[in-house]
Amino acid sequence: MLGNLNIRVIADYFPALWQGFLNTLMLSGLGFAGAMILGIIACALTIQPLRWLRAPAIAYVDCIRATPLLAQLYFLYFGLPRLGILLPEIVIGIIALALNSGAYVAEIIRSGILAIPRGQFEASMSSGFTYLQRMRFIILPQAIRPTISPLIGQAIVLVKDSSLLSLISVVELARVGQQIALDRFMPVEGLAATAAGFLIIYYLLKALAGFWSRFDRVPGRS
Amino acid sequence: MTAKLTKLLLSASLFALAGTAATTYTAEAGTLDDILARGELRVAVQTQGPPYSFMDKAGARTGSAIQLTELMAKEMGVKVTYLDFDWDGLIPALMSGKADILAADMTATLTRATKVAFTKPWIHVGAVAFTTSGSDFKSVEDCKKPGTTIAVILGSTAEKSVPKFFPEGEMKSFKGGGTVVLDAVASGQAQCGVNDNTAVAAQVLNYPENTFTVFPDMLTAEPLAYAVRYDSQDLLTWTNLFLDTVQQDGRLKENLDYWVNSNKWQNDH
Repeated sequence: MLGNLNIRVIADYFPALWQGFLNTLMLSGLGFAGAMILGIIACALTIQPLRWLRAPAIAYVDCIRATPLLAQLYFLYFGLPRLGILLPEIVIGIIALALNSGAYVAEIIRSGILAIPRGQFEASMSSGFTYLQRMRFIILPQAIRPTISPLIGQAIVLVKDSSLLSLISVVELARVGQQIALDRFMPVEGLAATAAGFLIIYYLLKALAGFWSRFDRVPGRS
Repeated sequence: MTAKLTKLLLSASLFALAGTAATTYTAEAGTLDDILARGELRVAVQTQGPPYSFMDKAGARTGSAIQLTELMAKEMGVKVTYLDFDWDGLIPALMSGKADILAADMTATLTRATKVAFTKPWIHVGAVAFTTSGSDFKSVEDCKKPGTTIAVILGSTAEKSVPKFFPEGEMKSFKGGGTVVLDAVASGQAQCGVNDNTAVAAQVLNYPENTFTVFPDMLTAEPLAYAVRYDSQDLLTWTNLFLDTVQQDGRLKENLDYWVNSNKWQNDH
């Protein structure tokens, strides 16, 4: 089937594919930025001692991790207007991606902080650091390092998840692929072009992860 | 050594023979023969909603297109297996050989016919526009206002006709069945929607009364037909004869009067 791949059709649709590629980059970029902000806030709330602040953050992480992104997306798109909140689909899409990935980001960062030996907290406390100083100088520099790779992994997942936004009429890479399949009845050409676009983004992120792992050499560790 | 070689050659030629036999067989057998041999008609459908294909209150698949297909299988003497796809997955499913025939409320268009062979139409429908009751859109003309958002089904004929009828409108295409378009309009994500008149008429019944205002103007006239692969000429010929037969003996009219031209089906499903 791939032998009959009609390159001419893909070339015809190149401007649309390029636009879809840029839109996917834009949606995932903004989505991931939002996810980082949400994730850091949710993580900070889950590890602090006040229960009434911790409970909503834990509920958020649990609710998101327990439901499929598609259900969250439809809830935001078709459900929110019933509550009187009508937002354009691009905004809904970015919010859905940020909300969804935010929960996973929170868990990744939390695991990074929990991995720090208790002695570090105690030592910094007995050295007279305040809470913020402890976080800024002792804990976070150590906690962030091992989370970079899983965070890039989460970014890759988010990029692929952004294809679901095609279901609420957002034009991105997957939607352009569907359009090729529908206009010309050439599903292989459409899906191959979409897959190629996602592969390019994947390799960009993978290169970033590789670059980080070379940069991230801790003295005394392999 | 020689004996071994002979054995090897013999088995190789046997394999080659078996191969040719198999290819000759499939080349001669048509789709209809395959269907009869396996005793099963594989039908690509979509659960787009009443009146053509939907799940009724009892959870059974039914509708005008479904009942007509059951009749077809009965005349053929085989059982039906339904393969449920989204609208944009129907033609690929047929082309890839997963299904023998495509039974949906699909318009026979020249573009689609470059890939699949359409039978004679079994009904003619037209596209209509609708909006939520009490909105500022009082007629189709209002929906033509610049910047109006118009919901259609991804890959439907409306997707092609809307830019023509609403050149200054902003079209949003949704993946899924006709009810997605109604949901988009009901929730305010689109101001007007465009879909087939018969589908809209039946599907608005799922919503509370006076949710939608459907404008009476027919934007297009479209023939709905079954589709098969071009290499299924036998099945195409048979289906055309089937449609002629049920048209002449009144069974097609009975089906359409029950499902499409009235709301009688609502009492039973």
